[in-house]
Amino acid sequence: MKPDLSRPSWAERLPPTRSVAGDAPVAACAFNRDGTVVAFALGDGRVRLLPADLGAALPEAAAPVHGGVALSLIADPSGDGFVSGGDDGRLLRHGKDGSTSEIASYKSRWIEHLAAHRNGTIAAAVGRNAVIVEGGEVRELGPHQSTVAGIDFSKDGGRIACAHYGGVTVWSLGQAALPPRLFAWRGSHVAMKWSSDGRFIATGTQENDIHVWRIAQATDMRMQGYPAKVKSLAWASDSRFLCTSAQAVFTAWPFAGKGPEGKPPVQFGSEGAGLMTVVATQGTSDLVAGGYDSGEVQLGDLKSRRSVVLKMADGSAVTSLAWSPDGGKLAIGNERGDLMVVDLKR
Amino acid sequence: MSQAQVPVTVLTGYLGAGKTTLLNRILSEQHGKKYAVIVNEFGELGIDNDLVVNADEEVFEMNNGCICCTVRGDLIRIIEGLMKRKDKFDGILVETTGLADPGPVAQTFFTDEEVKARTRLDAIVTVVDAKHFLGQLGQGHEAEEQVAFADVILLNKTDLVSAEELARVEDRIRTINRYARIFKTEKSRIELEAILDKGAFDLKRILEFEPDFLHHGHDHDHEEEVASLSLTADRPVDPDKFQKWMGALLQLRGPDIFRSKGILAIQGAPRRYVYQGVHMMMDSDWGTPWKEGEKRSSKLVFIGRNLDGANLQRGFDDCLAPA
Repeated sequence: MKPDLSRPSWAERLPPTRSVAGDAPVAACAFNRDGTVVAFALGDGRVRLLPADLGAALPEAAAPVHGGVALSLIADPSGDGFVSGGDDGRLLRHGKDGSTSEIASYKSRWIEHLAAHRNGTIAAAVGRNAVIVEGGEVRELGPHQSTVAGIDFSKDGGRIACAHYGGVTVWSLGQAALPPRLFAWRGSHVAMKWSSDGRFIATGTQENDIHVWRIAQATDMRMQGYPAKVKSLAWASDSRFLCTSAQAVFTAWPFAGKGPEGKPPVQFGSEGAGLMTVVATQGTSDLVAGGYDSGEVQLGDLKSRRSVVLKMADGSAVTSLAWSPDGGKLAIGNERGDLMVVDLKR
Repeated sequence: MSQAQVPVTVLTGYLGAGKTTLLNRILSEQHGKKYAVIVNEFGELGIDNDLVVNADEEVFEMNNGCICCTVRGDLIRIIEGLMKRKDKFDGILVETTGLADPGPVAQTFFTDEEVKARTRLDAIVTVVDAKHFLGQLGQGHEAEEQVAFADVILLNKTDLVSAEELARVEDRIRTINRYARIFKTEKSRIELEAILDKGAFDLKRILEFEPDFLHHGHDHDHEEEVASLSLTADRPVDPDKFQKWMGALLQLRGPDIFRSKGILAIQGAPRRYVYQGVHMMMDSDWGTPWKEGEKRSSKLVFIGRNLDGANLQRGFDDCLAPA
């Protein structure tokens, strides 16, 4: 399934959308593995589940499961539901039926970043450590130089990268554990994504730059010129592009061939929606979704460099976006607490 | 969603001065307000609720070539996290460890755009142990710098010292920082209005923070390392010359200048020009208009280490428009 953005129908009307009042700011959203349920982590500690099918009956809103804010959320890589982290220091597993169980708990810590690999391993940033959950086993890697501000698996799941003040540390998760490797760059790193082909690690920095390391060569590059911190990064088209937030239009650095050195980023889309706050891509697809601080959401095609509006601006900044596994649906969450599911199959 | 900036109060003070007692009071008293408290030692507070957040005092250098530009990375993260909550706060209190330099905390609110959009630095409140302060001065820079940075000082544990001792401590505080408001307290007992929502960093309210001249009219002692001084001028200021001078001064002496503020009568401008800064970070704006017939005088205030008053006054005089 791939929408053709050059078809006039895309520009004429907004796609079918369901919007549910969540009553608290959305910190994160995700689809489960089979794409039947979408979950939203909320600012009142709830994890709200909605059916991905726009016509299905809505389940009743559940009670808060985290003490303060449900800060982070991913699809459970080994179950039918989700995994969430909160500012109560609890790491929870949620079934698609709404059941909840605790994986681990870290008093007085916030769990702001989660990652999962399809082999079933879960990683959580807990203070200065990375917590790895493999089957029933929970272990910690660290401490790092500062609180871990981003966490991601390598393509094969054999390594885990942790962003922190001073760079990114890569740990081997294999049987014969190798010593961790530091990819250093001065300053604070606030977001991080490992490319899906495993060759690059990209971070957004406190100084409004992007930093990217080539893993094999241990060389690095810096992209400057952003007006704000790049807190959302996403690799697209099988790692041929690195898409970034913090611009007025879709902005993607070309990583095919020799890489982006000396080249300008690909930029397209219609200005006027404000500054992009979240960008989301989906594996091998050329499609990229961008949410803005105005509330507008656009869908872009890196190949044709066209874009359409999926959701109009409403004054509430988009805080999270998530693609369904088949790429046919998009979940949107905003500051005001609107929980939205958009059906792109039409 | 636009929302008012949440005021942030920074609470400093040497080990054992009474910060924790004060925080416990703020968290437990019935005042109808909701404060989030960011502490550095979770266990110390007797109260355990979700309004108390544990911080790690992660001081980060900004990778921007500015030598004294350090920020609290953990604060940036925590403030962003607190803003995701459904329930909003009337204020945020940030406690620093007893040996912390308040500079990075204050600079965080000048540097990070997202923190600036969501919150505003309200005031730096320093708790001073009346019994041990003079002794602490000899143990490092911290006790002295915490007083130098303060907008409000709680001179605490006054019940443990004699009237003469208390006067000596107060005098010493005044040589470091003439401009802070001092409240004498026992067991950190104070009306919250005295320390919260003071607007000490609000450019519109800079005039409210005039020094208490009546009480402490004496000049500062040049022997003292950290001191405060003010410069005045009755002729209008040449804006270009002033900018050049101030820029060079902060470039050179930024690390030694803890706080600075000023109200300037700019040549040809109908409004006051107001500014305030922490180290090399500066914030400025046009203030209220001068009234008809009002005397247009300028005033600068510095609190810093090894300040040469005569030299600074000469530099400032060179920025004035010809008579």
